[in-house]
Amino acid sequence: MTMADKVKVKDISKHPERQLTHIDPQDLMPLPPPYDKVDEEPKWKAIKQEQKDAVVSNLDDTIALGFPKPKTKEEEDELVRKFLSGLEKLLTRENNWTFLQPLLLSLEHCAKCQTCNDACPIYEASGHNDVYRPTYRSEVWRRIVAKYIKPGGKFFGAFKQGDIELNWTTVSRLMELSYRCTLCRRCAQTCPIGVDNGLITHELRKVFSQEMGIAAKEIHEKGSVQQLKVGSSTGMTPLVVKDNIEFIDEDMFDKTGIKIETPWDKEGADVLLIHNAGEILAWPENPGAFAVILEAAGISWTLSSDVVAYDGINYGLWYDDFQLARVAIKHAEAAKKLKVKKIVIGECGHAHKALTVIADRVLQGDLNVRRESAMTLLEDIVFSGKIKFDPSKNDFPVTLHDPCNMVRLMGIVEPQRRILRYLAPQFREMTPHGVDNYCCGGGSGFAIMSPFNFQDWRLSISGRKKLKQVLDAFADCPGPEIKKYLCAPCSNCKGQLRDLFQYYNVWEKSGILYGGLVELIVNAMVDVKEPFIEWEFH
Amino acid sequence: MTVLHILAYASVAVFIVAVAVRAIRLATTPVHLRWELYPVAHEKDKVSYGGSYFEEKDWWTKSQKKSLFGELKVMVPEILLLKGVWEHNKPLWLWSFPMHFGLYLVIGFAALVLVTAFTGTQDGLGAVLEQIGLAVGLVGYVLGTVGALGLFGYRLFSRKTRGFTPPSAYLNILFLLALFATGLYMFAGVDHPSGALAAFGRDVFTLGAGAAPAGAVAAHLGVALLFMLYLPFTHMTHFFTKYFTYHSVRWNDEPNHPGSKLEAAIQRQLAYPVSWSAKHLRADGKKNWADIATDTEVE
Repeated sequence: MTMADKVKVKDISKHPERQLTHIDPQDLMPLPPPYDKVDEEPKWKAIKQEQKDAVVSNLDDTIALGFPKPKTKEEEDELVRKFLSGLEKLLTRENNWTFLQPLLLSLEHCAKCQTCNDACPIYEASGHNDVYRPTYRSEVWRRIVAKYIKPGGKFFGAFKQGDIELNWTTVSRLMELSYRCTLCRRCAQTCPIGVDNGLITHELRKVFSQEMGIAAKEIHEKGSVQQLKVGSSTGMTPLVVKDNIEFIDEDMFDKTGIKIETPWDKEGADVLLIHNAGEILAWPENPGAFAVILEAAGISWTLSSDVVAYDGINYGLWYDDFQLARVAIKHAEAAKKLKVKKIVIGECGHAHKALTVIADRVLQGDLNVRRESAMTLLEDIVFSGKIKFDPSKNDFPVTLHDPCNMVRLMGIVEPQRRILRYLAPQFREMTPHGVDNYCCGGGSGFAIMSPFNFQDWRLSISGRKKLKQVLDAFADCPGPEIKKYLCAPCSNCKGQLRDLFQYYNVWEKSGILYGGLVELIVNAMVDVKEPFIEWEFH
Repeated sequence: MTVLHILAYASVAVFIVAVAVRAIRLATTPVHLRWELYPVAHEKDKVSYGGSYFEEKDWWTKSQKKSLFGELKVMVPEILLLKGVWEHNKPLWLWSFPMHFGLYLVIGFAALVLVTAFTGTQDGLGAVLEQIGLAVGLVGYVLGTVGALGLFGYRLFSRKTRGFTPPSAYLNILFLLALFATGLYMFAGVDHPSGALAAFGRDVFTLGAGAAPAGAVAAHLGVALLFMLYLPFTHMTHFFTKYFTYHSVRWNDEPNHPGSKLEAAIQRQLAYPVSWSAKHLRADGKKNWADIATDTEVE
């Protein structure tokens, strides 16, 4: 029996100085050869004892938030009081109209059948560690609400939901635990009653952010706050982003022979294209390929240089309704100002969902600018006959990763597939795929989070199932001598896949490159003489 | 009037009021942000693979094709056969299905008993209905007993549920087990159970004050009525709240069209005052939701 078997829900309140659980590499879900040797599993970065002493570190073998430990009992009690006050606000119409109904349904109607557990790639990859069940943090939350918020909870709470003690240990572990779920909502898909334990993670993160001002630095301070302040979570100001795009335009001319001059702030354009600005810095070939395609197809398009509007990211989606609304409104205001016909969102899954689905009921009146996925625009262009393609230029094994936000949570499944079936002769699906896909492991902000040794956790546990899926999809050509392409039309997913492949030396051992969809489209263009895809890992 | 009469009136009244209160409470919660999950069952042409109208270029220019039949195709097997449990948790389905299906049959038996309470059972349709009811009831009680026993064991011994099952969940199952087991006992020990039940039902419906049944029938009726009284205060209300989890959340893909009723409802909610305490929100209990969402000054 491993340590994980012994963790009970109410243990979360006990033994503040001990880790609640421990991750043993022996327990992790096996990977296919040549990644199957436990002793060759990458070693986790050690966290120094003084670091552990300084911040909350009593959940498992990693730290996501690095929240400083309170120095006195009074400080601890104040944080517990604030947490409880946040939970109460979460259950009010005024403070949480945004999610009150789904939250109440998931609070009161879970049958505790645990059916959802097996759908969770983190729980499975961890070797079924109880703490990573989708139900573990939700059960803690339900018990706290039943005992400390519901009338008569002191007498009936433990009977109704199970016992729990609310103290600083509980709150601090719950804070970390709300960052051990990628919000992929695969668990919710399997619940026969329709309960959504992913939503509960989302709502817990909101309590920590909206009431206590606690969130992962990468998604709050360096994320949405920086985006609202300077224009982009990457730190790029309007001037810098214009410079970078100019450089990309020149690079595209060198690579394709096609003259590109990316239009900025063009009033009345049909399309305002909003990229995840991370693409501009990390994968410039992606916005470059977009420009090549749109110009070749004769689309009237533009980018916006307004602060926030050149970066499609919206990290509020994962932890704070107000930060989400603030960023979405900025995106809509830029589109309104330019009088464009529609916003098209580039290859970024969470930007798709944030602006198209979640913010849909926040954008009112003339801010409700029409918004569309790049997948549909690209499909329309590819099959319009405006560009000539030679699919044989893509004659190498290709598989497709389905970004959760775009596919399971938006239902954009087929456009990208129709393109790949046409332009990639050796396209093959992963198992499972489409709305049943597995998360890349970098969802909900994880892809940009690497404090302490959190990167080890997100690569060896939350990304493990995706790695297995990718390797299985290329099981007929496993060696590095055959170059293979994993198409991931999402910037955050690519960030996670880049780190995952580096961590396990996937390029060297298996010859798998990751990239976007537009790169494959440009690679197949007849007018682009040289191969657009460079078979070098980056 | 006997204790059973009083219990019958109280159980029915509490059941109706408690279910109505909960349903109204859920139905009148504010319009929430979209949180759908695909496949959305009413999506007409793309449901087979989980697609949505977002796959269409300029989707807002096209009318959304919704299919009620598509929703029924999901809901009917889900309700009757527990299809979701079958697909995702077969060891649980083995016990959960007989328990649920047994309960449906027992409810069917009760409905037929009430019908025959007024049609009589001497000849014709009434006699046929009584025989059907007895068969349905017997199968229901057997299935239910087996299912409830199995579920209790599953909860107790499965690694999945052990430690994650609160006392109330065990009580729920024991209550159901008592319901089914006393029903079986009634069938085993009473010659003509539906006659005694029908007489009691007719008496209750006509506000009579006749004698209540005794022995096994009374025991079963007592347990059933107590269960009815208890159920609305448990998570077993998922029998109707599932409507909300599916229709209001999981399949709610209604877009916010300018000038729509939906937009007007949200406009009212944007005026709600907000009292969250985190500094970056700058809420003070007076500023409303829209004020805070449009306040993008960064300190």
